[in-house]
Amino acid sequence: MPPKKNKKKREEGPTVTIDFEFKKLVEKVVDGTLVNYCYQCGACVGDCPSARYVEGFNPREIMLKVLYGFGEELVGPASPAWQCTNCYNCYERCPQNVKPVEIIIAVKNLMAQRGIYPAKAQVGDLVNTVLETGRTAPVTAMTTKLREELGLAPLEAIDTAELKKILE
Amino acid sequence: MANENQKKFAFFPGCLIPVRYPQMEAAIRKTLPKLGVDVVDLAGFTCCPDPIYFKSYDKTAWLAVAARNLAVAEEAGLNVFTICSGCTATLSETYQQLNTNKKLKDEINMRLARVGKEYKGTATIRHVATLIRDEVGIEAVAASVVRPLEGLKVAIHYGCHLLKPSHVMRVDDPDDPHILDDLVAELGATPVRHEEWILCCGKACKHEEAPPAMMYDLLKSVAAVEADVLGVVCPSCFNEFDLGQVRLARQYDDETLKTPAVYYFQLLGLAQGLTLEEVGLHRHKVRAPALEKYSAAAV
Repeated sequence: MPPKKNKKKREEGPTVTIDFEFKKLVEKVVDGTLVNYCYQCGACVGDCPSARYVEGFNPREIMLKVLYGFGEELVGPASPAWQCTNCYNCYERCPQNVKPVEIIIAVKNLMAQRGIYPAKAQVGDLVNTVLETGRTAPVTAMTTKLREELGLAPLEAIDTAELKKILE
Repeated sequence: MANENQKKFAFFPGCLIPVRYPQMEAAIRKTLPKLGVDVVDLAGFTCCPDPIYFKSYDKTAWLAVAARNLAVAEEAGLNVFTICSGCTATLSETYQQLNTNKKLKDEINMRLARVGKEYKGTATIRHVATLIRDEVGIEAVAASVVRPLEGLKVAIHYGCHLLKPSHVMRVDDPDDPHILDDLVAELGATPVRHEEWILCCGKACKHEEAPPAMMYDLLKSVAAVEADVLGVVCPSCFNEFDLGQVRLARQYDDETLKTPAVYYFQLLGLAQGLTLEEVGLHRHKVRAPALEKYSAAAV
């Protein structure tokens, strides 16, 4: 018997428009091109602490959104990127060396370029503190007291002139 | 303490430890010479910079600042040792990235040229734990002990950045690490593994959703093994397990959350004959009564 002809027409689904421009921006960041090797296996999800504790957080889906170029969902005040714990389990598990956490950090870099990271993420404050003092944490009266008690030399101010020049 | 038989390494102190937890720096400075390490202070280091927020701002700038720090050690002709997992992560990744990617290295060196510096890629980076295991020999630890911590049960939290990514960090098997267990055993103490030993402390996303429930599971699993102390090597984990544990115990109204976090080198200090005060243990929010008898014992 000849095979029946499949007369059923494929149903029209929602259209996905891929935005290559957004992906190109991610690719400009160090390690950003690695996202192209993602084959969506999901190995990054199993040991992800944020996937375990945060409803809806899924590193595989973030990789897919970068591949599709869904920039608006990733780069904005409601970006899921900040929920990443930076534990590097996904980097360790990925069979394709995509370094998912590095792609998430690349997305954060795009937000920083646009100045739209959430204030609570402390990115701007911390970078300014490093530029001004050379340290992430400013030396306080408590620091001096504790160091003296332990027989440690007081911390000297760090000259940040070189730091500022290489970050210009 | 320095003599010709001691191995010289450039000491990279970082920010969090010298500023917020100087007890950890004091423990390092007081214990390493007894293991044959000459701790060399170099002028010119800045923040590593931090592998979470600074890296989130601009990865290339992050690599440039780190490469500048490594160039300072290269100029002195010394290899670097770190005492914070975050500094170790930043400097190790910079070494790996720039030594395998010439284009990136050239780009970074163009920035460093503005201040008359160059990153060559000659200085290696060691976390103090691997410095002891691989450069000094772990048996030097037991040889330095004058007051064995016999009977002390130490739960160990490795933290994330000491181990991962493993091919960059080159510290231990991230799925079954032993380096800290072995270091604890050298003191005469007993290392124990808690169920959630691989879980993240949550410091890097502390204002987001995950940390409270995650930390509660982690610290409950620590409490369940009924250890005397929780041994750590990372100042960020320490912050979450010391002050963070006090807050969490209140938030969840759970008085079992009270295993005191200690930095490994504070334990080494006690075992080498120092007192609780000399290694700053009296400043911790969660006190460690189990350590008092060792501190008081004659040397």
